Amino acid sequence: MPNAASHRASSNGAHRFDRLSGPLSNATRLRTPNMSDDGAMSFASANVSGEGGDTIGDEDPRAAIFRERFILTEARLMAALGGKTQHDGRDGNNAGKDPPPNTAREDQPRPAITPKKPARAIDEDDYGDDDDGDDEDDSHQSPLLSKGASNAAALSNLDPPTLKVPSLPTKLGIERTSTPSSDQAKSSDDVRKKLQQDKKAAEDAARRSFHTLFYTLENDRDAMLEQQKLDELDRQVETEMSGQPTAGVTNGAAGAPAQQGSLSTANLGASSLTLKHLIARIDAKRDAVHATDAQLRNLISEVRKNRSKWASEDRIGQEELYESMEKVLMELKATEHAHPFLQRVNKREAPDYYIVIKHPMDIGTMMKKLKGLQYKSKKEFVDDLMLIWSNCLKYNADPAHFLRKKALYMKKETEKLVPLIPEIVVRDRAEVEAEERRMRNGDVDVDGAEDSDDEEPIMASRGRKAPSKGSKGGSTARKAPPAGLEDTPGPDSKPPIPSINNLKNEFLRADSEMEGSVNGFSTPPPPGTLTPFGPNGIFRGGAAGSQADASEADGTGNSVSGLTLDAEDADLDDLEYKTWKQVTKKDRATIAADRNRMFRGDHLNVEEPAILRTKAGMRRWLRHRKEALEEDKKDDSTTPDGKDGVQPTGETLAEGIEGEDERQVPDYYDPVSAIPDMSERLKWVEDSEGNVVNQAEEFMRIVPKGYFTAPEGALASKIEANMRQMQDTRKICAKIGIVKQMQLQSQMYQNQFQKYDPLPFIEADVEPLVVSDEGAIMSPYVCRAALQRSVGKIFYHAGFEEFQPSALEAVTDVAGNFFANLVRTLGAYQEQPKMKVEEPSAASTGVLSAWKPRFSQEEAVLHSLQENGVDLESLEGYVKEDVDRLSTKLAGMHDRMKSHLADLLRPALDGSAGADGAGAFNDGSEQFVGGDFAEDIDEDFFGFKELGLDKEFGLASLSVPLHLLQNRMYSQHQLQNASTVSTTGVLMEEPAKFEPVTIRNITNEIGLVQEWFLAKLHDNNDQQLPEDEELPVKQRFPKPRLPPTGKISSPRKRPLKEQQQMARKKRKLEEGKDDSTINANAAGSASGSGSAAVNGNGLSKGIAKPIGKLRLEMPSQKDNQNSAEPEKDDGSAVGMISPESIGAA
Amino acid sequence: MVSYTTDTFSWLEGFRSNTIRQMMFVSGETGEPSAETTTLIESIVQQQVQEMLRECTNLATRRGSRSISTDDLMMLIRHDRAKISRLRHFLQWKDVRRSVKDNSDDKGGDAGADIGAGDADIAGVAGGSGPAVETGKKAKRAKVDLVWEPQSFYNEFVPARDDDNDEEEDEQNFATLQRLKNADERTKNMTREEYVHWSDCRQASFTFRKGKRFKEWAGFGIITESKPNDDIIDILGFLTFEIVQTLTEEALKVKDAEDLYKKETGGEPQNRMKRKRESGLFDPPEEAREPVQPSHVQEAYRRLQRGNNKGRAMLNFTRNIHRSALKLV
Repeated sequence: MPNAASHRASSNGAHRFDRLSGPLSNATRLRTPNMSDDGAMSFASANVSGEGGDTIGDEDPRAAIFRERFILTEARLMAALGGKTQHDGRDGNNAGKDPPPNTAREDQPRPAITPKKPARAIDEDDYGDDDDGDDEDDSHQSPLLSKGASNAAALSNLDPPTLKVPSLPTKLGIERTSTPSSDQAKSSDDVRKKLQQDKKAAEDAARRSFHTLFYTLENDRDAMLEQQKLDELDRQVETEMSGQPTAGVTNGAAGAPAQQGSLSTANLGASSLTLKHLIARIDAKRDAVHATDAQLRNLISEVRKNRSKWASEDRIGQEELYESMEKVLMELKATEHAHPFLQRVNKREAPDYYIVIKHPMDIGTMMKKLKGLQYKSKKEFVDDLMLIWSNCLKYNADPAHFLRKKALYMKKETEKLVPLIPEIVVRDRAEVEAEERRMRNGDVDVDGAEDSDDEEPIMASRGRKAPSKGSKGGSTARKAPPAGLEDTPGPDSKPPIPSINNLKNEFLRADSEMEGSVNGFSTPPPPGTLTPFGPNGIFRGGAAGSQADASEADGTGNSVSGLTLDAEDADLDDLEYKTWKQVTKKDRATIAADRNRMFRGDHLNVEEPAILRTKAGMRRWLRHRKEALEEDKKDDSTTPDGKDGVQPTGETLAEGIEGEDERQVPDYYDPVSAIPDMSERLKWVEDSEGNVVNQAEEFMRIVPKGYFTAPEGALASKIEANMRQMQDTRKICAKIGIVKQMQLQSQMYQNQFQKYDPLPFIEADVEPLVVSDEGAIMSPYVCRAALQRSVGKIFYHAGFEEFQPSALEAVTDVAGNFFANLVRTLGAYQEQPKMKVEEPSAASTGVLSAWKPRFSQEEAVLHSLQENGVDLESLEGYVKEDVDRLSTKLAGMHDRMKSHLADLLRPALDGSAGADGAGAFNDGSEQFVGGDFAEDIDEDFFGFKELGLDKEFGLASLSVPLHLLQNRMYSQHQLQNASTVSTTGVLMEEPAKFEPVTIRNITNEIGLVQEWFLAKLHDNNDQQLPEDEELPVKQRFPKPRLPPTGKISSPRKRPLKEQQQMARKKRKLEEGKDDSTINANAAGSASGSGSAAVNGNGLSKGIAKPIGKLRLEMPSQKDNQNSAEPEKDDGSAVGMISPESIGAA
Repeated sequence: MVSYTTDTFSWLEGFRSNTIRQMMFVSGETGEPSAETTTLIESIVQQQVQEMLRECTNLATRRGSRSISTDDLMMLIRHDRAKISRLRHFLQWKDVRRSVKDNSDDKGGDAGADIGAGDADIAGVAGGSGPAVETGKKAKRAKVDLVWEPQSFYNEFVPARDDDNDEEEDEQNFATLQRLKNADERTKNMTREEYVHWSDCRQASFTFRKGKRFKEWAGFGIITESKPNDDIIDILGFLTFEIVQTLTEEALKVKDAEDLYKKETGGEPQNRMKRKRESGLFDPPEEAREPVQPSHVQEAYRRLQRGNNKGRAMLNFTRNIHRSALKLV
C-alpha cells in the first residue's frame, strides 16, 4: 500500500479525484523526483519539508554534483533566454510563490519548498487509476494467495504487493496497461535501483575480498571460452541482423535501424540530467521562451547527442524497455551457467528435441528478436526468457540432469533480474498522439481551468508517462496546446529526431533512481517496491496466462519436488565465489585470452607481441595496494564510504591520461604490473642538503672470520693431531723406503727419491668478504668446498693419504644428503605441535605460556639422531675407537718406525762414528741420549752441517750425502748378506788372490803383456791395476763366455765402449755441480779414507769401492781424449781425482 | 671327535643336528633340544653361511679377484669388534699350531713342547719360549692384521714390538672371558665323565674333518669357487659355532623371559600345581628343564635380525622402500 500511496502523492495536484485522502500520501511522498527536480513545482505538505531535511543529510554525492551542474546550466540558460526571468512572476500562483530557483539551490532547496500545492506536476497524471488498480489488487490478493498457498512453501515468502502487480494487466484495459506500467516503472525502478545497489555492493565486497582471498585461475579458461562464445554469438546475431535488416521488424518502425546506426552509444547520465533540469525550466517558463516546440525539440535532440541505440521517436517507450531488456539479457548471458542456452539446440545433438519442444527458444534468438525490435512489451520478453528455461526443464526431465541445475539457476537469476525491466508496452507514436488527442478533446471541459496549459505540449510528448496521462477521462493534460505542438505528431513520424519523450524518460528514471537511493538510506523501504522477492511473484503472475504449461509444470515441480529443487540449488558454489565469478568473468576472460594468445598449440607463439607492463597497470596496482592498506588500517574505525578516503589518493596528473579501464580483478591477476617492494636500503634517499645518503654503509658488514672453517674443538684438535702424527710417520716411512731401496740397489740416481715433504694442514678461510644482508651466507659452492675439505680430512684420518676426486665428490654428496636429512628430521621434531601443560611456566623469553614444545631440544636431537641411524653409543665409540685409540696406536707405530729406521741406519752410522760408536758423539750431538738421531740423520748424516761445509758449498739438498750414504748402505747390506752367506757354510777354500800388477812386479809377467800392462799402469798413474772383481758391478767387464758355436769373438770391445759412454754421461750429469763435487769428493774421500784407516776390520773393500769407482773414470777420460772429443771437464776431472789419489797414497 | 665317531648312526643327516646339539650344550642349553629345533638352527646357520659367502664373493669381485680371501670374511663382521677379536685370537692359535707343526716337521722333534710354548705365549698358562715360537708368532702377526687397521696406513711394514699392550683386545675379549667364566662355572662341579663329555662337545665343529660335506652344505661351487682356502673353511667353522652359540644364548634368554612371565602371571594350571608343591621331594632337577623350543629360536632370530636405522637413514624423506639385507648374526 505505501507504494501506491507514494505514487498517489504525486497526484496531489487535486485535479484528480482522489479516493483516498491526500495527507497520507503526502506524508510518504518524500522521495519523489521533485527532490532534485524543481521543488517548488511539486508540493506541498509540511511533512515534506521536515522529511526533506532528513534526506538532505544523506544526499547522494552525485546529487550534489548534479545540482551544481544544474545551477551552471541554469545560469547559462538564463543568459540564453535573455534575462526573462522576470516573467516568473507571471506564471501561476505556484511559480510566484516559488522562491527564486537560484537561491533555492544554493542554500537549502528542500526545506525552502513551500507547502503550497503545485499548480502542475510533471508526473501529476492520473494516478487515480493506480488507486483503482491497487484496490483491485488488494481485493485480489487473497484469492491469489489462496491459490498460491496450494503451491509449495517456496511461494509463501512472496509479498502481497508483489503478487498484486502482475494481476493488473489482466484486469485493466489497454488504456490502463500503461498506468500500472508507470506505477510499475516506479516500483521497478526502485527494485532495479536496489538490485543495482546490491550488485554494486556485492562487487565492492568482492573487490575487497580480492585482497583477502586468493582465487585460483582454474576457471579462467572456462570463462574465456564462454566469453568467446558470447562474442561469437553477438557477432552472429549482428551479421544476421545486418544480413536481413528489417526482416524481423514487425512493427514497421522504419526509423529504427537507421537510428541504431547513428545513435549508438548509451552514455547517458550527467548530461541527460542537466538537460532534464533544463527542460524543467523550459517547461516552467514556457511562454518566456520564444521558440516553437518543434524547434526546441530539435535543439535539445541536437544538444543531447548520446542517445541510446534503441531510441526511437516513433515508438514510445521503446528506448527504456529495450535498454533494460538488453541489460537483462546481457546479464543473463554473462552468467556462468548460461552457456547451454546461448544457441539453438542442435538437432544433431538432440534429434528428438524439436519433437518434444514445440517452441524452441534461446538467448541468441532473443537477442536477434531484440535487435529486430520484435518485443512489444516486457511480458513478451519475459515469456521468451521463461520459455528457454522451461523448455530445458521439460526436455531434460531427469531430475539429476546437469542442465536442469543450470536452467534452475538461470531461472532464479531471471527472476531476480526481471523486475529491472519496466512495464512498458511499446506503442507507436502516431497511435499515442491520436489517442491523446482524442482524450484531450473529450476532457477539455472537465479540466478547463488549468493554467499550466502552456507547458503541456512538451509534457504531452513525453514517452513513458505520456500515455498514462491520457488514460483516464479526467486527464488534466494539455487543455490548450499550442499550435506548434499540435503539429508535432506529423513531423515526428518522419524524421528520426529524438523525442523529448525519451528525454523525459531518462529524467524520470534518474528521478526514480534518486528516489531509490534516498529511499534506501532514509526510510524503511516499502515492502512491495524494494523487496527482492518481488520478481518471483511478478514472474509467476505474468507468465500465468501464456505460459500456463510452463508455470504449471514449474508449480508442480515446486510442490512435488520442492526439496529436490533446493538440493539442486544447494550444490552450487558458495555465494562469495559465485559473486567473484560473475563479477570478474569478463575481465578474467580477457586476461586469459591475452595469455592464451601467447601460445599456439603447445608452443610459445613467437610472433605474438609480449605482454608488457603498462604505466596504467602499475598505477592501478599501486592504487589498489594503497586502498587495501588503508582499508586494513581503517578496519576498526568505521568507514562510511570507502571511496571518500581512497579517492583523493589519485596521485598525478598523468592519472587517467591513458585510457584506464577499471578492471574487476584483483592485482594478482595482473602480475606484470606488480611493482616489487623495495628494501629500505635500496631507496634513493637524500638528506636535507640534497646529498644522496649512502645507505649501503649501514648495512654492510664483513663476514666474520672462521665462517667456513671447522670450529675449534676437542675432537677436531685430536683428529688434527692424529693427522700430523700420520704425516710424521709417513716421513719416516719414506726414509725407510729410501734406505731399503739403497740396500738393494747398487747405484742410485740423484733424483730417484722424492723427498717426502708433506704440507701442513691449513684450513683456509674465505677472503675478507663484505655482505649487505643479514643471516648466514648462502653460497652453495663455498659450502660444498668446505664440506669437501672436511670429508677429505676424515679420509686422511681414516688412512687415505690421497684420494680420487670422484670419490671425494661422491662422499661429499652422500654426506651432504645425510646432513640434510638430519636437519630435516630435526626440523620435523621441533615443529611438532605444542602441548598443553597444566601449570604455565615462564618460557625462555620470560613469557608465561600454557604451551610447551612437544620435544625438548635434547629430545629432538636424540630422536633425529636415532631416526637417522646414529646413536650416542656409536658416536662415542667412534671418538673412543677411531680417534683416541687410534692416536695411541699411531704414536706407538711412530715409535716403532723410528726405531726401525734407526736399526736400518745403524751400520752406516757406525761407519762414521767409528768402530765403537764413539765417533757418533764427535759432533757433540746428543742423538743417542735423546734417541731421536734419526731426525737429522738424513740431512746431516756426515756432520756436514757441523763442519760448515753445507754453507760453504751450498749443499742444500740431500743429493751428495745420499750418494755417499747409498754407497755405505749398499756395501753394508751386501756385506751383511755376504757374511750371512759365508756363515752358512764354506765349501771350498778361497783361492789365493792374484797379485796386483804394479810397476814393480810387472817384470814377472810374460813379455807379451808387459807392454800392455805398462800402458795401463801408465794410464793409471803408475798405480796398481785393480782386479775386475774389485770394480763396481756396473763397471765390471762381463765375463767372457764361450758361445755355443765355440768361436771366440772379441767380447771386450763393446762393453768397454759402453762403459765409456756411461761414464761420460755420468760426468755430464755432474757437470753442473762440478766444483762442489770435487770438494765434496775430496772431503768425502778424505773422511772415507780416514775411517778406512781407522777401521781396518775387513771393511777395506768398502773403502776400496769409492776409490775404484773414481779411478775408473780415468780410462773414460782418456778415451775421451783419444777420441778427440771436446772435453770440457778435463782439468776438473783430473783435479777431481788428484786429491783422491793423494789421499789414497 | 669322540662324539663324532660314536654317533655314526646319524652319519648322513644327523651329524649336524648332533653337532648343533653339542654346540648348544656348550652354549648353555642343558636340555635335549628336539630335532625341530636343531633343524631350524641348521637352516638358519646355512642361510647365514651362504649369505656370507655371497657377500664375500661380491667383495672379492669388487676387488677384482675371483677367489674370496679371509679378509673378505673378516670385512663382513668388522662391526662386531668382539667377534673380530675372537676370530683373530682363533687365527693366532691356528697359525701358532701350524708353524709349530711345520717346525716340528722340520726338526722332527718336540712338537708338543712347542705347542705348549705357543699356549703359554697366548693363553699365558705356562712359561717357555723358543725360536720356533718366535717365528710362529711373527707369522701370526702378519696374518691377522686387518687391512683397515692403522698399520695399513703406511706403505712400510711396521715392525712388531714385543711390548705391545693389547688393551683393546683385552677389552674386546670381555665377552669371551665372560663365556669362559660361565663355562668354568658349569664345569666346576662336573664329574670326570661329564667333563669328558663337555670337552667333547666343546670340540664340536661343522668343518673339522667334515670339510667336503660342509662345502657342499654351504654352497661352495655354486655361490663361490669350489676350492676355498683352508683358512676360510676354518673361519667359517668358527663363525658357524658363533652363530649357533649366539642363537642359543638369545633363545635361552627368550625362554627365561617367557618362563618368568608365566610364573608371574600364574601361567598354566600345571604351573600352579607346581607352585603348590614347591619344594617337593620329587621335583625334577633343575638341569632337566625343558629345552628351547623352535619358537624360542625363531624369536631369538627375529631379535637378532632387528636392525637399527642405519641402513635406511639415507632413505628418509624419500619414498624408496628399504629392503633390509639379511643381517649376519
